[in-house]
Amino acid sequence: MKLDMHGEMILDQYRDNLPVYNKIKDLVLDTLRKCLADNSIMIAGLEGRVKTEKSLTGKLELKGYKYRTIDDITDIVGVRIITFFSDEVDIISALAEKLFDIDWENSVDKRKMLEIDRFGYMSLHYICRLPKSICDDPTAPQMNSIRFELQMRSALQHVWANMQHDTGYKSDVEIPIHYQRSLNRLAGILELADEQFSRIRKEINDYRRNVQSLVASGNFDDVPLNGDTFRSYSQLQPFKHLVDKIATINQAEVYDDSIMPYYHVLLHMGMKTIGDIERLRIKYSDNAYQLALIQLAGTGLDIVAYSVALQNLCIVHILKQGFGEAGLVRMFESLYGPSDYNSTRASRIYQQAQKINIL
Amino acid sequence: MNITINNVDNKTLVTLDGRLDTSNADQFQQDIAPLMEGDKPNIDIDCTGMTYTSSQGLRLFLSLQKSVMSRGGKMVMRNMNPQVKEVFDITGFSNIITIL
Repeated sequence: MKLDMHGEMILDQYRDNLPVYNKIKDLVLDTLRKCLADNSIMIAGLEGRVKTEKSLTGKLELKGYKYRTIDDITDIVGVRIITFFSDEVDIISALAEKLFDIDWENSVDKRKMLEIDRFGYMSLHYICRLPKSICDDPTAPQMNSIRFELQMRSALQHVWANMQHDTGYKSDVEIPIHYQRSLNRLAGILELADEQFSRIRKEINDYRRNVQSLVASGNFDDVPLNGDTFRSYSQLQPFKHLVDKIATINQAEVYDDSIMPYYHVLLHMGMKTIGDIERLRIKYSDNAYQLALIQLAGTGLDIVAYSVALQNLCIVHILKQGFGEAGLVRMFESLYGPSDYNSTRASRIYQQAQKINIL
Repeated sequence: MNITINNVDNKTLVTLDGRLDTSNADQFQQDIAPLMEGDKPNIDIDCTGMTYTSSQGLRLFLSLQKSVMSRGGKMVMRNMNPQVKEVFDITGFSNIITIL
């Protein structure tokens, strides 16, 4: 089908504006990237495009009569932000409202358009203009007057939209009813999954906050040992006193390394709560210091890692429980992997422990 | 302390030989300066011939490790004799540096 004169006129306007459209698209993408980075917001995707001449021609063929000029078509420049979670769409839209001038009359929240018994396309579309705070070039006033479309949707909404688009139908009216029903069922599942992901994430965040406050409050017996609780506990620097004492042996500096590698060692040692680790610390700190003393005294080594305190506490615990050299080998394997050297090291430590009577 | 550095197939092979202590730590620091440059380094340090390291040496290895990590690379030390390995063990540095 050939365009009529009116359609050809709009197409000519499009060709004239093409460089400006590309500039707007690039500037919008750059502005959004910077804003997301400044606000530490992770997203699943950010994409932009200028409608192709072929696509515009198709649109003009179908409904060119609706547009007086090219400026009446608001999706020539399109930018899409895909969030991980559906509730993040509102955060992104709030940022967009601060960044761009929104044409509210033409913006659509498709999430609110669906009937309560309908499932389908859920996305937030803002029609925007670049404000002068972002672009103020008197030689290119079109940069502020041309509108662009900003779509915001979750990753699952994006999946559904793409899958539906792949069917080749532009509107659900054209789709045979049993396929439409299948697509709607799928949309319902994805909407449910979106909600569940958001809910689970919120619960995990609530759980982490609770754990942090429990650890901070010192109710260690109420705190089960897991990766999150151990991380929170480690932030309290529970072995600082012991490592500082070890450091006095050679007036050493302490290098503040992570004790997270010891999490699995502690689990293997049967620790169930943070309270168990606290008891380990209180009960065996003197022995752990004695072990460091026999190892470090006279060496002149004046730097130690923070983790050496927990390392020695674990060694003492294993020996006190009667697991002997084999227990130490298991600990070293857990930390560093299997190696012949683990037995050599275990044997040396066992002899040192005998000398200072901590078996 | 003798050090040789060879680049082979996107990997930097470093060989250490002798003692590393206060007397030669400054020279060693200059010798390893080329390892402090470049993106995503992959450094493999063979310690077969290294007979001792002082805490000065530990600091230099730590500094190299931090530099490598900050550039998205990796570094391993291998074939340490038991006396050198003990220095890393009793200071807790075995928990910081990957030793194979």
